Amino acid sequence: MNKKELQVGRVLEAGTRGFAIGCAVMQPDIPAFGSFVKAELEASSRVIYGLIYDVRVEDDPFVRQFIGANPPDEVVLDQRENRQVPIEVRILAVGCSEGEVIRHCLPSQPPVTLDWLYQCSEGEVRTFTRRFDYFRLILDAREAPSDELVAASVRAAAAARPGGEREAFLVDAGRELVRLLAGDPTRLEGVLQRLRA
Amino acid sequence: MTLELSQLTEHVRTMGEAVANRWRVQADLVKLAQQWLTDYGDRADELRARARSNRAAIPAEEALDMVHPLPELPEPYTAVGADGSQIQPDPHGAALYYVINVGSLVYRHGSGEAPEARSDAVLGFTEDDLYENNMPVAGNLLDVRRDLAEMRRLAEVCESSRASPTVALADGPITLWVLRDLPGDARQGKVTIHLDLMDRIRRAGGIVGGFISRPGSRDVTRLLHLAHVSSSNAKNDDLPNPLERLADRSVFARLPTGARSALFISSKEINEQYYAPRGHEAHFFFVNLAPADHEPVIARVEVPAWVTTDRAKLDTLHAVVVAQARITGNYPYVLARADELAYVSGRERAALESMVMSSLIKAGVRSAPSPKARYKRMTRQGF
Repeated sequence: MNKKELQVGRVLEAGTRGFAIGCAVMQPDIPAFGSFVKAELEASSRVIYGLIYDVRVEDDPFVRQFIGANPPDEVVLDQRENRQVPIEVRILAVGCSEGEVIRHCLPSQPPVTLDWLYQCSEGEVRTFTRRFDYFRLILDAREAPSDELVAASVRAAAAARPGGEREAFLVDAGRELVRLLAGDPTRLEGVLQRLRA
Repeated sequence: MTLELSQLTEHVRTMGEAVANRWRVQADLVKLAQQWLTDYGDRADELRARARSNRAAIPAEEALDMVHPLPELPEPYTAVGADGSQIQPDPHGAALYYVINVGSLVYRHGSGEAPEARSDAVLGFTEDDLYENNMPVAGNLLDVRRDLAEMRRLAEVCESSRASPTVALADGPITLWVLRDLPGDARQGKVTIHLDLMDRIRRAGGIVGGFISRPGSRDVTRLLHLAHVSSSNAKNDDLPNPLERLADRSVFARLPTGARSALFISSKEINEQYYAPRGHEAHFFFVNLAPADHEPVIARVEVPAWVTTDRAKLDTLHAVVVAQARITGNYPYVLARADELAYVSGRERAALESMVMSSLIKAGVRSAPSPKARYKRMTRQGF
């Protein structure tokens, strides 16, 4: 797939720990919770990797009128394709790269307003998740539902691998979570349950 | 907060009681007006000349209390709504300019296609744009340019959309409102452009109408008073009219769901002087947009004479207006969206002003908002 097909939306606001983007309602690839995404900084060759942790359709009083009114197809299409009511998507930064080297750490600079955000390809997801250092960034995040997010991201990373490799990947990820959450068995149990779900 | 609400508390309470009292009185007047509509419903012919000279609603060729049920909706149909907004020239701004932004939505019912949404913006900045007969183009002069731009958009859509009946809706009357203090030929020139655009819609087979939500007109109540006076012994048109402040829409609140009233002719001078000779004499009717078992929602719809003489066209317009209004509740969907597409937010205005200032600086012009504008911005927006 080329880059254009993977565009999710443009950056609305950004900080070191994460950023928010807006996208039209009918983007072909609706962003999903736990998806790996990346922002390519225009001014440099750096890439920031992140995980989608919140997808929110903004409240719209105009649309509220149609709820339960069974609007004609043309109205539904108009609302979805023409009206500028964006979905707001929040992303937790979990890594960055400069050239070939990928680091699981917060980026030194956030993306800037109107930078494009792309959905990572399966290959990029596999490359990024060769290591699990980014787990700590998720588990320490207060703004995101971290336990759900780490489980969703592991499931997404497993799905990006060939069928024969998934089981081993999930076992490795589970071991890393056991190591990180050894001091909090209750939380660990919850995360592992979500991973199995 | 600079508005001391505590100062108004007592006034607001008094106002609430006064409004309630006025509504009680009005309820009696509504009954009286509806009774007169029934009593004098068959006097259309004898009232016509008197209504014209008294600037009341002029009865068309049917009983005043005629009720037309909701016609069948044609399938498919096309509805287009156009509405405009403007940024007035600001003498306190960095430069003198205006913007007209026309929003429009072409809705092809039954096509399964997304409607065509557009916003067309025009920036006026040349001397010719900004002055007309040595008068600055602002206020009514700018309103007229906006109205013409709206009608032009409706004409364009009608000309390109011949497959199904196309109903072109404007937000407001179909007659242009041009101030009388313009020189005669300037006024006529603007109306002629408007009439030419309506000609284009007519030739293209379109059906044009003007939709007026919650109309405040009192043309029909004035006519009912004339009817009452003419039937009494007084025969004096100057007798106090008890219905003087009663809006026409309240008289038609008993229309069944989806039904429309009889047709009337607008007695505006501009209608008689310019629109009638060209075959576009503005007629109007009232229609109840509310679904069954809901409080009536009465709107006024204006149509040119050539729509009223073609029953199929008139029925199509009637049915489409009601169908469109019921999508949103009580206002045509295409007009609601056209308004949204035309709206220029405060943020967009500020962004445009910023673009203008950058452009001036690049062109070597040092310009800035007036001290008054600058201080207003500092106190209201903090920069």
